[in-house]
Amino acid sequence: MFEGPIQDLIDELSRLPGIGPKSAQRLAFHLVKVPADEARRLAGAIVAAKEKVRFCRECFAVSEGDLCRVCRDPGRDPSVICVVEESKDQAAVEKAGVVKGRYHVLGGAISPLEGIGPDDLRVQELLDRVARDGVAEVILATNPNLEGNATAMYVAGLLKPLRVRVTRLASGLPVGGDLEYADEVTLGQALEGRREM
Amino acid sequence: MAARVTWVEARDFRNHPGTRLDLGEGLTAVVGPNGEGKTNLLEAIFYLCALESPRVASDEPLVRRGAAAAYLRGELEASGATALVEVEIRPSGANRVQVNRSPVRRRRDVRRIVRAVFAGPDDLEIVAGEPGARRRFLDEAVRILWPAREGVITAYDRALRQRNRLLKDWDGWGTPRGLEAWDGELAAHGAALTAARSEAAGRIAIPAARAFEALSGGPSEPLTLTVEYRPSVSGDSLEAAFLARLDERRGDELVRRTTLVGPHRDDLALAVAGLSARGFASHGEASGAALCLRLGLASAVREELGEPPPILLDDPFSGLDPARRRRVAESLGSWGQLVIAVPDEAQVPEGAEVVRVRGGAVVGG
Ligand SMILES: [Zn+2]
Repeated sequence: MFEGPIQDLIDELSRLPGIGPKSAQRLAFHLVKVPADEARRLAGAIVAAKEKVRFCRECFAVSEGDLCRVCRDPGRDPSVICVVEESKDQAAVEKAGVVKGRYHVLGGAISPLEGIGPDDLRVQELLDRVARDGVAEVILATNPNLEGNATAMYVAGLLKPLRVRVTRLASGLPVGGDLEYADEVTLGQALEGRREM
Repeated sequence: MAARVTWVEARDFRNHPGTRLDLGEGLTAVVGPNGEGKTNLLEAIFYLCALESPRVASDEPLVRRGAAAAYLRGELEASGATALVEVEIRPSGANRVQVNRSPVRRRRDVRRIVRAVFAGPDDLEIVAGEPGARRRFLDEAVRILWPAREGVITAYDRALRQRNRLLKDWDGWGTPRGLEAWDGELAAHGAALTAARSEAAGRIAIPAARAFEALSGGPSEPLTLTVEYRPSVSGDSLEAAFLARLDERRGDELVRRTTLVGPHRDDLALAVAGLSARGFASHGEASGAALCLRLGLASAVREELGEPPPILLDDPFSGLDPARRRRVAESLGSWGQLVIAVPDEAQVPEGAEVVRVRGGAVVGG
């Protein structure tokens, strides 16, 4: 334990995802050494991002405005929704250029070990969109790992009574990995070869 | 050809400040009183191949007291190719591994080069201990036979922990939400693990029985060892059978709030002369059976890869009478590389290259 502000900073940093106590300490000691204007720039960027970045009211992707770029685009097919865990996955799928429809960002995956249940994700919002917009196909593009698969299975179960076509990414993606680490070609193939659930 | 370790250097590893050991293609006997460091050398050889200790789960005890890290270097030879492996073992934090002077991304790629089999006194637990020890042995066999299937073991373990947490944290109303999704994951990975364990047990059973027969005196004095996998779930379509069993046990699972079906409840039935080895075998029979399970695993690896893996036997003879010692040594006479640690010269088998160890150093051949 350290005294005062430095410990506060360590505490705050260690609450970030993927940052353990040791990394938090290293970052904190780095930050107090950088020039004052650099520190101010970082603090400013965090505050500005928090104030200006919003979530699309349709698909919950990170967006500058009320609606994200994809949801604003009249050329996109509203009858297809591609479901991803995080905004960064939406970006990865966009790069593959296969999905002509829109997206839905769940905000994570079900993981009892991390205390994340269905209510912590935007599942109900997805069901509402599907019912409201007459969606024909939902592509479940959650990560090809245990939690992503379980989430896809859970969501597929809820979509079943809505009589919508539900598909899942084809296998071939590195198992256990994240979508964002798959290369565009592989991800594109997994989307093209998606199968009925 | 046989897979082998041609030499190993251990620095600040256990009680070895700096030891180099050159190993022949056949039988080497490492001789020294207990506590002088002969088992540690076998452990170092195994670690170089498997990147983990056969004796302890954490790396901390491997680093010599007062040292910042332990270093192992050595050369592995298999399928006619060689690889220089270097490992820095740190008491906390990640180890560094290099093969041919390049960092290694996947440990599995190192482990698959030479699949050494280690047998020691702790193996008695496989025969005499709880089912968990036998499940660990089976998983070890799966990993060493088919390194690519290691993912099945970790995936099942995580699915099980997720599902158990869901059951534990459930508020008690209706059924836990999302349980069916975890049923699906548990059944998919559980079926794959059951299949892998079943195949591994099948590969080990016959050579282990043969080794036990040789050990106990051959057909004139028959004492049989039978090895039989007892899976929690069985059936033609494993995944469907798994889901059906989960359905049957749902009520009990909700009451007990834990998963009651799956490979975490498997066992491996071991019987000596038809009687459960766990309850009925004598100490000598039980240690003999444990040794034969390891030898069976080594044979299965030879069958799978077409060349015998190195076998590292820590104190294999102390529980055996001289006649049995001779029979074990004879039955392994034509094996590839074999390194045996024994406490005294009287236990050194004929024809062995002898290495003497005292106080964490090799003191002469
Ligand atoms: Zn949107």
